[in-house]
Amino acid sequence: MKEKLEQLLREGSEKIEGAKSESELQEIRASLLGKSGVITELLKEIPKLDVSLRPEMGKAVNNVKALLTEQIEGRREALLLKASEISPDFDCTLPGIEPQIGGLHPITQMCYDLNDAFRSMGFEIFHGPEITSEYYAFDNLNFPPNHPARESMDTYWLEGHDSGEASDKLCLRPHLTGGSVRYMQTHKPPYRFVYPGRVYRNETTDARHERAFFQYEALIVDKDLTYTSGKVMIKSILSKVFGQDVPVRMRAGFFPFVEPGFEIDMGCLVCGGKGCSVCKHVGWIEIMPGGTPHPNVLRAAGVDPDEYTGFYVNIGLDRLVMMRYGVDDVRLFHGTDLRFLNQFR
Amino acid sequence: MKLSLNWIKDYVKIPEDMDLSRLAYDLTMSTVEVEGVHDLGKQFENIIIGIIREVLPHPNADKLRVCRVDIGEEVKEIVCGGSNLYEGERVVVACPGAMVRWHGEGEPVEIKNTKLRGVASFGMICASDEVGLGDLFPAEEEHMIMDMSHLDVPAGTPVAKALDLDDMILEIDNKSMTNRPDLWGHYGIARELAALYDLPLVEFEKYTPNAVEEYDVRILDEERCPRYIGAKIEGLSVKPSPFEIQSRIWRVGMRPINALVDVTNYVMLALGQPTHVFDSNHIIDHIEVRRANEGEKLLLLNDKALELSTDDLVIADAEGAVALAGVMGGAKDSVLPETESVILEVANFDSKGVRRTALRYDNRTEASSRYEKAIDPERCDLALSMAMELFASLYPEMKVTAYNDKYPNKLVKKEIDVDFDWLDRRLGMRIPQEIVARKLGTMGFEVTFTDVGMHIVVPTWRSTGDVSIKADIMEEVARMYGYENFQPTPITTTFESAINQLDWDLVRKVKEYLAFRCNMQEIFTYPWMTDTFVNAILENTDGVLALSTPPSPSEKYIRSTLLPNICKAIVKNERSFDEFAIFEEAQIFADRDYTSPYDPVEKLPYQRKHLGCAFVGKSDNVSELFRRAKGVIGAMPRYTHMEGFEFRQVEKPYWADDTVWMNIYLGDEKIGDLALLSKKATMACGIKVVSAVLVEMDMEAFRPFNSRTNKFTHLPEFPMNDYDLSFFVDSMVKWEDIYNAVMGKKTEFLQDVKFVDEYKGKQIPEGKKSITIRLVIGSGEKTLTGEEIEAVAKSVIKKLVKAVEADIRTA
Repeated sequence: MKEKLEQLLREGSEKIEGAKSESELQEIRASLLGKSGVITELLKEIPKLDVSLRPEMGKAVNNVKALLTEQIEGRREALLLKASEISPDFDCTLPGIEPQIGGLHPITQMCYDLNDAFRSMGFEIFHGPEITSEYYAFDNLNFPPNHPARESMDTYWLEGHDSGEASDKLCLRPHLTGGSVRYMQTHKPPYRFVYPGRVYRNETTDARHERAFFQYEALIVDKDLTYTSGKVMIKSILSKVFGQDVPVRMRAGFFPFVEPGFEIDMGCLVCGGKGCSVCKHVGWIEIMPGGTPHPNVLRAAGVDPDEYTGFYVNIGLDRLVMMRYGVDDVRLFHGTDLRFLNQFR
Repeated sequence: MKLSLNWIKDYVKIPEDMDLSRLAYDLTMSTVEVEGVHDLGKQFENIIIGIIREVLPHPNADKLRVCRVDIGEEVKEIVCGGSNLYEGERVVVACPGAMVRWHGEGEPVEIKNTKLRGVASFGMICASDEVGLGDLFPAEEEHMIMDMSHLDVPAGTPVAKALDLDDMILEIDNKSMTNRPDLWGHYGIARELAALYDLPLVEFEKYTPNAVEEYDVRILDEERCPRYIGAKIEGLSVKPSPFEIQSRIWRVGMRPINALVDVTNYVMLALGQPTHVFDSNHIIDHIEVRRANEGEKLLLLNDKALELSTDDLVIADAEGAVALAGVMGGAKDSVLPETESVILEVANFDSKGVRRTALRYDNRTEASSRYEKAIDPERCDLALSMAMELFASLYPEMKVTAYNDKYPNKLVKKEIDVDFDWLDRRLGMRIPQEIVARKLGTMGFEVTFTDVGMHIVVPTWRSTGDVSIKADIMEEVARMYGYENFQPTPITTTFESAINQLDWDLVRKVKEYLAFRCNMQEIFTYPWMTDTFVNAILENTDGVLALSTPPSPSEKYIRSTLLPNICKAIVKNERSFDEFAIFEEAQIFADRDYTSPYDPVEKLPYQRKHLGCAFVGKSDNVSELFRRAKGVIGAMPRYTHMEGFEFRQVEKPYWADDTVWMNIYLGDEKIGDLALLSKKATMACGIKVVSAVLVEMDMEAFRPFNSRTNKFTHLPEFPMNDYDLSFFVDSMVKWEDIYNAVMGKKTEFLQDVKFVDEYKGKQIPEGKKSITIRLVIGSGEKTLTGEEIEAVAKSVIKKLVKAVEADIRTA
């Protein structure tokens, strides 16, 4: 009987370890420990044994029963750990389901990035009317009478409002600078504000020219400010927007509303200033005009140019966005093509 | 504008070891943008003068010859098809490695050793077009190669050296010097370089006439013609100008013509002052500068026949107009092959008039583009002096027989006082006085120091509008000192209060809400609308503003509503997408309410910031589109923290479907519409497959909250129970009726009722619809029993039966 017990234990153990599922394990358990299981049957036979053998054999059978029970429990734990209702042919390489979200126009995104950067430096945000009088489009900005920009070929004048006094003539704003005068007229210096907006030029369009495009003006007016502070401002902003140190250079440039005026270039981020096709092999990209507001502009805004001076930049948003993403046709921005716009989500 | 460095060196002695990229950089930083520096000599690398020693027939081709050409160190065989080959001829040989254009066309290609019809050929004997010298050495006939036998140089001499073409060409961006009339010639740039590098500048001697008679010059419009010098020169002839003059003119992009014309162009390129010569035999009696008569005819040099307007200034003789002043000469009276005497014109014309005339006839020229920058009249003296000197050297026998300098409108030099204290503050540093004086002096400013500053007399060439105030002087000082030599200064500020711009923040919140929470894409459209869409959306164009010179005839109106352009965007995108949602925030305009918050005199039309949206989808599910739009707009105030809207049906928008429309109200003010685009408008727009629910709202009516205002509600302590009810009602019954019936009079324990589903169609009786609603039942004090919940449901059913004759299907 002893041998029989050992054999049972060995065979039982093998079966338990070989069990592949919970149900298989159940069957094994029944065959061993169930009502008519082999161990149960053995236990039933103990009373038939000689009295002297009963305690020892009883102990041995119970011992085997305990061992098997423990082993079954252990096996059940192990099987549970691996249990899954998922079929093994589940494909983990299927693509993820992306959130269905819309998006802001890439120019709005750039504008908001700039807003955040300028606000962190204490700038307010201003908005002005898109239809303006010639007075604010040109006269206030020190454009001489008969300046070429005033001609209809450059500016969209309004039908029925295209002649007469400068305050009667109306046009779609050709730039934002006149609007900055509006801000200054309605606030007290010192000023620190930005003015994002769309402007309009009557010209032939191509990949680099649009009739409607975006400018982003920033203006500080304060006592004793030098143009070198302006350089600090531009460098801070560009470095924040592009997330890296951006070299900036300011060179001589002419615009009627600033004196001195600058063309402001940023180091080409594509080639790191070594020269590439994006920067026409000069290492610099012209991104904005800037300078000290012309005394006549400050006067028009009711600010004494002997007391106050300032610094002004006018960032071409379209160009900045084109550089950010490598967009090669400015007309895409107003094209309303979702296949284009969806790329900037 | 192109500039020759060799030419500049006539006027300022630039050190030979000057690094040219440095020079270009300095000029860019301080004065004008140098777009490129082009090494002219390099273009002629491996191109040399060879001497033909022998011309042999080609064994396999009748039209080709095999030339034995002495190229200096050795004699090489070159196959050539030129028609003018002879022994002893000096020819231009492109050796292997040279870049040439085949037959003067296409991109340059590199010359290699090759075989032509079985005969090895070393390089190529070139025609002038093939090495870019066609303008200087025009071939008399096709197939003629360049005959350089007039050059007395040994075989093997590089062409660049033989023709003195070792020069650097600077390319200047014209846009960077529109305000500097003084820079439109080599002398002006030379002056800038002199100031930059503290070098002396060559001065010109004034021409003193010793003519026998006074030439009859009459200026009839002194405003438009401040000065006119006319000189009759005899003893001339039409011949080619010396190679050096031709070469210089050619290098900077113009074409040599003949000595008489070349002299005028040379003077202009050197000094920026246009001049002109008339054949004096064709000028009847005198020169007069006057306005054209209306309809007066003039045939220009370029064969354009003009009918002039009275705004045009012309040069005329006793019989009529001979030239368009400052723009172009006439065909009849300019230099002709038989010309022997000329009237030399050195004159000054008003910039704006020249510009208007040039634009009017679409006839901008080198001369007009210079005049329109406002040249100072004093420059006539330099130009006259240089022109006379050139004529004298080209025609030793020439004589000035009549002369007149009419200068009725003298230019006044600007005078400016600058105090040092101001200058130092604005520059952020003190620049030593001697540097300031030296730089300004080299540029022609007369500087007198006073106790507190400087008194400055501006040179004439900077007095035509360019320099007039002390800020201009500051700029001159700063740019010549070098913008890069100033240290960056940090910006300081005073803090008063945090920036709080609720309106602006709200716009951003709304856009971010639509984009990120509502799955919509922002678009930008133009302010002008296309007529097709205007007609589809608007009943008429009353009060719609228009452009006087629109981008196209059908895009005249500027938007009074955002919807036409949004519909255009739908048409554009329905080709690629059958479901999408877009929005735009932009200003709209209307021909009314003229006023300006900035200026009492200014009258600006009505302009408001609007929001336009389109929810686009398949035509079979308009209800869902509509509900989505309504959900987006309805929830917007809560997510963007502003006062809430209401939907009412008061006034159907013109473009809307008869049934599917709502007005959006803020209090008693209508601030927008939300509706399905009508079938008619959809078709008129050309929208083919999709349906669109459109929204337009006046964003300036939005009222932002000062801060977030929604309050926390406690979580329910006892469970809330959902109880669904389905019933049939007449299909005309509205949800609003059902809602009011259920919630109108308070039922105990009923917290809310929600819409679950609406169904029409199969299994639903004709004229009915099935509605499923969900009651939310619960109490703040206890857990409700089944009976209590059932009682609520029963009470609701009773109300529904009574109010909307609901036929309850499930309970």
